[in-house]
Amino acid sequence: MPRFDRLLPWVLPFMLMLAWVLADAAQLVPAYLLPGPAKVLEAGGHYVFGKAGSAPYAGRFFSDLQASLLRVGGGFGLAVLLGLPMGLMTGRLPLFQKLASGLINALRAVPGICWLPLGMVWFGIGLHTTVFLVGLASFFPIYLNSAGGARQIDPILYQSGAMMGIGRFRGVFAILLPAAMPSIVTGLRLGLGIAWAYLVLGELTGVPDGLGAIIMDARMLGRIDMIIVGIVIIAAMGRLSDVLLKAGMKFCFKSARRLS
Amino acid sequence: MTRRLQLVVTPSGEAARAALQAVDLNCVFKTGGGAVDVLHDVNFEAKEGELVCLLGPSGCGKSTLLKIIAGFLAPSSGRVLVQGRAIVKPGADRGVVFQEDALFPWLTAAENIAFGLKGRLPGKALAAEVTRYLELVGLSPFRDYLPRQLSGGMKQRVAMARVLILKPQLLLMDEPFGALDAQTREEMQTLLLSLWAELGHTILFVTHDINEAVFLADRILVMEKGPGRIRREMRVALPRPRRKEGEAFHRWYRQIRSELMSEDQF
Repeated sequence: MPRFDRLLPWVLPFMLMLAWVLADAAQLVPAYLLPGPAKVLEAGGHYVFGKAGSAPYAGRFFSDLQASLLRVGGGFGLAVLLGLPMGLMTGRLPLFQKLASGLINALRAVPGICWLPLGMVWFGIGLHTTVFLVGLASFFPIYLNSAGGARQIDPILYQSGAMMGIGRFRGVFAILLPAAMPSIVTGLRLGLGIAWAYLVLGELTGVPDGLGAIIMDARMLGRIDMIIVGIVIIAAMGRLSDVLLKAGMKFCFKSARRLS
Repeated sequence: MTRRLQLVVTPSGEAARAALQAVDLNCVFKTGGGAVDVLHDVNFEAKEGELVCLLGPSGCGKSTLLKIIAGFLAPSSGRVLVQGRAIVKPGADRGVVFQEDALFPWLTAAENIAFGLKGRLPGKALAAEVTRYLELVGLSPFRDYLPRQLSGGMKQRVAMARVLILKPQLLLMDEPFGALDAQTREEMQTLLLSLWAELGHTILFVTHDINEAVFLADRILVMEKGPGRIRREMRVALPRPRRKEGEAFHRWYRQIRSELMSEDQF
């Protein structure tokens, strides 16, 4: 039974692959709409391991990954730096909540893509616009979850701290952060997921490198196989970064390890 | 800033320092419909090392009174003096044991107990203290357990140890055993008495359980509601160790019960 449990997540991807292989073998879909797995795998191999310049896209993976990681990391980092403290303050300080939450919730209603034109005018095409978009989009889940986490802390925990002589400042690190940790982790994970989505959006604007950029580029050149390679890589990176984030938080914080 | 040590002459004539004094305490809660008089002119004191029970029906303001003494709540008027000094906010001189689970769920039993002393003692001395207090409350085998892995009684043992380790002048207990089953409650009462005998704190113990009050208290302050005030003060002249089976215990039980019930005209 435990064995079967561990296989379960792979069942759907496996069936999808199988359908793809069969559809290709039976030539159900024309290759210009959906190339076969072998062709995609080959394109992926060239992209990741090929010698640069030997073919279009060959060997570009690591420089694209680096460019994209910088954008995701920059945007996500900014979102954490602003969203986490603002969220905790909103959840903990009624006055700050009155001050900030109206504006933030109004901005939240604006779809992220609306900021794209403004970002391009302000920052041009490239790193800054992408970081701006990624940061803006991942700010909201981080902010909202931190605020919710801080708000839901049982006041008795603060009372416990106060009667043991823990002042407000120490209380932030000794009580507020650990008690809100499950919500904070949820917010960070949602924020990081959205960061990857907006990375692609930001890179669709014509930057020369990046995992999103090659997808757009491949469309222009009719390289459907490369589009699929890009999608699979972004899915894998998104999942990997989520796993790393979760593991990292658990490694760094007792409360992330013990409350979940 | 005025008199730090205050001498109080108790009825029996001996002079003792008042560990706790409540002076003309009033507490009014403003609600939508008006104001509710929760506490009305409450005056009492507890001398050093005394175990005082606040006994009364729910809604008589006994928990509110305890919150005011803890510093969680400001009275509408009146003062609370601890060792003669007026209190303004919560502090480690007044340890509180709450009725509900108030442990930090991300810390083990040992870490919860160490919480208030962290950074105030060098690591080794702190660890030794924690070990000592774990032993005192009988939880040595459970030092690395998280609160969610502990039973209700064990959690209250941790809750007691984490304040006792701070050596407070005053221990405030708000129906700490109210949510436990009968057998565990008796164990905890016995444990509390043995800790009290060993450490000699002044204890203010809130309860609605007459049996508990008679078993524990040197003195019982019987409260009534609407508005909350202290109706009578009774010194429990039962020798210790007390046994709940004895005739003398039951006489006290009945007497306090009739005192408490005579109020029930509404």
